[in-house]
This record gives sequence, structure tokens and C-alpha cells, in this order.
Amino acid sequence: MTRTGVAIACDDVSLTYSAKSGAPVEALQRVSFRISPRQVTAVIGPSGCGKSTLLQIVRGLLAPSSGRIRFVDAQTGVVASTPRMATVWQGFNLFPWRTVADNVAFGLEVAGIARQERIERTRRCLSQVDMAGFEVKHPRQLSGGMRQRVGLARALVMEPDVLLLDEPFGALDAQTRLVLQEQLARLVEKSGTTAVLVTHSIEEAILLADTILVMTARPGRIAAEINVALPRPRSLSTTHLSAYSSLFDQIYRLLRDEVVKAMAIEAESA
Amino acid sequence: MQDERPIISERVPSATSFLHKSMQKLGEPRVLGWLAVAFVLITWEAVVAGARLNPIYLPRPSQILIALTTMFRTGGLLSDLLATLARIFGGFAIALVAGTLLGIWMATSERVSAVADNFIAALYPLPKVTLIPLLIIWLGTGGPFMLAISALGAFFPIVINTVLGIRQCDPGLILAARDLGATNRQVVRMVLLPSAIPSIFAGVRLGLGVSIILVVAAEMVVGKVGLGARLYLAGQVLETEQVFAVLIVLAILGVAVTKAQDFIDVWLNQWRVS
Repeated sequence: MTRTGVAIACDDVSLTYSAKSGAPVEALQRVSFRISPRQVTAVIGPSGCGKSTLLQIVRGLLAPSSGRIRFVDAQTGVVASTPRMATVWQGFNLFPWRTVADNVAFGLEVAGIARQERIERTRRCLSQVDMAGFEVKHPRQLSGGMRQRVGLARALVMEPDVLLLDEPFGALDAQTRLVLQEQLARLVEKSGTTAVLVTHSIEEAILLADTILVMTARPGRIAAEINVALPRPRSLSTTHLSAYSSLFDQIYRLLRDEVVKAMAIEAESA
Repeated sequence: MQDERPIISERVPSATSFLHKSMQKLGEPRVLGWLAVAFVLITWEAVVAGARLNPIYLPRPSQILIALTTMFRTGGLLSDLLATLARIFGGFAIALVAGTLLGIWMATSERVSAVADNFIAALYPLPKVTLIPLLIIWLGTGGPFMLAISALGAFFPIVINTVLGIRQCDPGLILAARDLGATNRQVVRMVLLPSAIPSIFAGVRLGLGVSIILVVAAEMVVGKVGLGARLYLAGQVLETEQVFAVLIVLAILGVAVTKAQDFIDVWLNQWRVS
């Protein structure tokens, strides 16, 4: 693919919503960052820090209270109003009444793409995630790992400029996670998409990302931006490198205090 | 001669096990259920014949069966059955379309829901038979009246269950559809409606039952044709075996509808998330 990619600029994005009690809750506070085209950026933070919310704001499914998100075409330098985007969800969010193939083809169907092309592209994407032969199965007949590979195919079939990953492997067991992380890294590199990965796993962030944004407890702010200069392709053996350990420690130290704070907030509201 | 022994000793237990097996079969719940029906029919026949009861009070099952076949062959019972079916399913079809559409509209718009809620709250608990006099004043006693009463019976359960089903839709699925570029209309058609189908079908189950009751009741009051009319007329002229014959047809209709719904229910299982 000869795509040059799309860069993302997030400027002073804040989000305040009213809780059920009516009291305003500040979820995000003046979040700013730049994401280079064709890079994988991980957003990591304690639970409840608004990282998934941030992802939905980037996707345009949620409007920020203030601030804005811009997408810039790297080739032309022009602000792209509607880059192609697709999300992979923690809960898979597959349509239970549709077969695997019909789930993957959903976005193409919505876009009015002809049936023959839909079938063609769906088949290609399913084989990319090693799910060829499962076209006529229903999601309930698949394991968690297989479901998320269908979820990944459903996003990739849209050929997104920006791929959003909302804790995509959070619901999977550790072994399945490792295998899927490697598969994801290969696919993202091959497709030339710009990817934003929300995760609570430091290991996942280091293995997949070029840049890691560490967020604070609520209200979520960017606490640090960390470059991951480890060689690719990364795998389980990457975790044995000393550079990996020092990166892990650095992120853990940043997160630890925020996690303690987040627990205090949770205890307060409980 | 020695090698014949095992054969003999095999035959003996197989003979007893055949008897044993058929006894076991009699104890099977399914078989037992039909045996009970047969027992009741035979006892009924014997007691009525023995006691020389006047068939106006209680005809024998054999007389009822004869009445039933004659009514079908020469008495026009088939056209009565067809008229009743047309009224039930015609009205039901109207209720299904109108109820599902209103349900979708209510579930996706708070304003529409607020407007419709009070009317539904007032009309839903009202026994629909009580509307028969009013509907006759407005529509007469012909086809439009029959369709209206049938549609009214099925409408409310379908509306209410459609609203419930759509409101229970997993918000994650709506997000996923929007993320993949679906417009509001596409979300309704491709996500909300399919996800509500099991719930809509639960409404269909309830509604169809009410439609059947209402159509038969309306036919009993004002019908000239139809199973209800036939039932009422037979009662008026003390043709008791004809009364029983119509009841049998209605019971079979009920069983058929229930079985068909069970069948659809199994097919609908694909909708349920594991």
C-alpha cells in the first residue's frame, strides 16, 4: 500500500459531563497531543481516567466540551475532514444475528459497496486474520480470541486511515493476547494506518506502540509522552531486553501514583 | 447340541425383555399422556352410552366425530374456518406492521414516546371485548369491524414489546454500527430492529392469542359466518355435538398456532448472544 497516512492533532480537549446526581464530572482536562502518520500510539492510564472516552472523541462519536481534533493528510498537508476510521472494541461488539462474513461486511454494506466486491474484500480480510473458513459461523460459535480477530477484520476491511483500538485484548487470556498482539503489529504495519491503542497493559503498550501517552487519574490529562525505540518486530523475547525493563519501570513509576489516586476517587464515590 | 445352549439362553431373556420394554414404553411421559386421552374418551363413550344420557347434555365422542366430519363435508365448516383464519391473521398482520412501526418510533424518539405513552397506558389494560359495542357503532358488523377487533387485540402487546426490545439493545452494537458509518436509519434497520426481534416475537405470541379470542368472541356476538358464529348457533338450537365439534376445531387451531410459534422460537435462537 502506498498510503502516506494521516496525522492526528488533538488540541486542548476537555470533557465535562453531569453525573446521575447532577454534579459535573470533569473526565478530560485540556488534553493535547500530536500523532504522526502511520505510527502506533498507545494511551495508558488508570481505570476511569477517560482514555476510552478520549478514543470516542477522536472517532467523533462523542463531542468534547471544548477543544478540537484535526486530521492532516501527510501527503498534501491538508486538513482531512473525514478520514476513514474504524474501531476495534474490548467487548468485540459483533452482531450476534450476523454470520462472521456478514459482520465483516457490515461497514461495506452500509457504504453501499456492491455485493461482489464485498465478498471479495471480506474474504481477503478474514484470511489476513487467519479466519478463512469461518465465514458462515455465528459469533457465539467462536472463542474470544477468534471473535476479536473477526472484530479486527471488520475494522481492517474499511481500509481505515486511522485505526482505533479500545483495549482490544482486555477480555482475552494471556496466551491468546500475546499471539494476537503479534498479529496486530504485523497487520498495522502492513496496512500503513495510523493507530491509537487504548490499553491498561504496560507490556502491550511497549510491544505495540511507537509512542506511549501516559494519562493521569480523573480528570484525565497527559502526564508524559514516551518514545519506544525498541527494534521491530517485537515479540515475547523483546521483554527480556534491558531497554524494555527500564521503559517498563519508567512507565510503572508514572502510573503507580495515578492508580493510587484513581483508587481514592473510586473509594470516595463508592 | 452343546453350542445351541447359549442361543436358547439368549432367547429366553429377550422374550421377557420385550415385555419389559413395552411396559417401560407405557411409562414414558409422552405415551402416558396419549394413553390418558384415550382412557378418558373411552370412559366417556361407555358412561354416556351406559347411562343413556340425553345427547343434548353430553353427546358421545363418536357422535361428535361424526358431526365434525359431516360439518366439514356438507355443512360448510371449512368456509367458516377460513373466514375466521382470514379475520385473525388479517387483523394480526395490520397490528404487526403498525405496532412494530410505532414501537420503533417510540423507542427512538422521547417525544413520540411521551405522546403515545398515556394513550397506551389507558388502552392496554382495558379488556378489548368491551370495545366490541363501540366498534360495531362505528364500523358495522362486517369485515372492517372484524379486522379492527383482531388488530386491536394484537397491537398493544406488539408495540410494548417492540419498545422494550429496542431499548434493551446492547449500546455497544449501536456504537459499532455508527463507527462503521451507519446512518440513523441504517442503525434502526440493521441493528435496532434485528436485535429486538426476539422481544417483538414475544409480543407476537401474546398478541396472536388475544386476536384469536377477540375474533371468536366477536363472531359469537354478531357473526353470520365463522367458527364463533357456528358455535353460537349450534348452542342456540341445542346441537350439542356440533358445539363440541367447533370446540375441537378451535382447540386444534390453538395447538397449531402454538406449535408454529415454538418452531419459530427455535429458529430465533440464533439471535440470542451466547
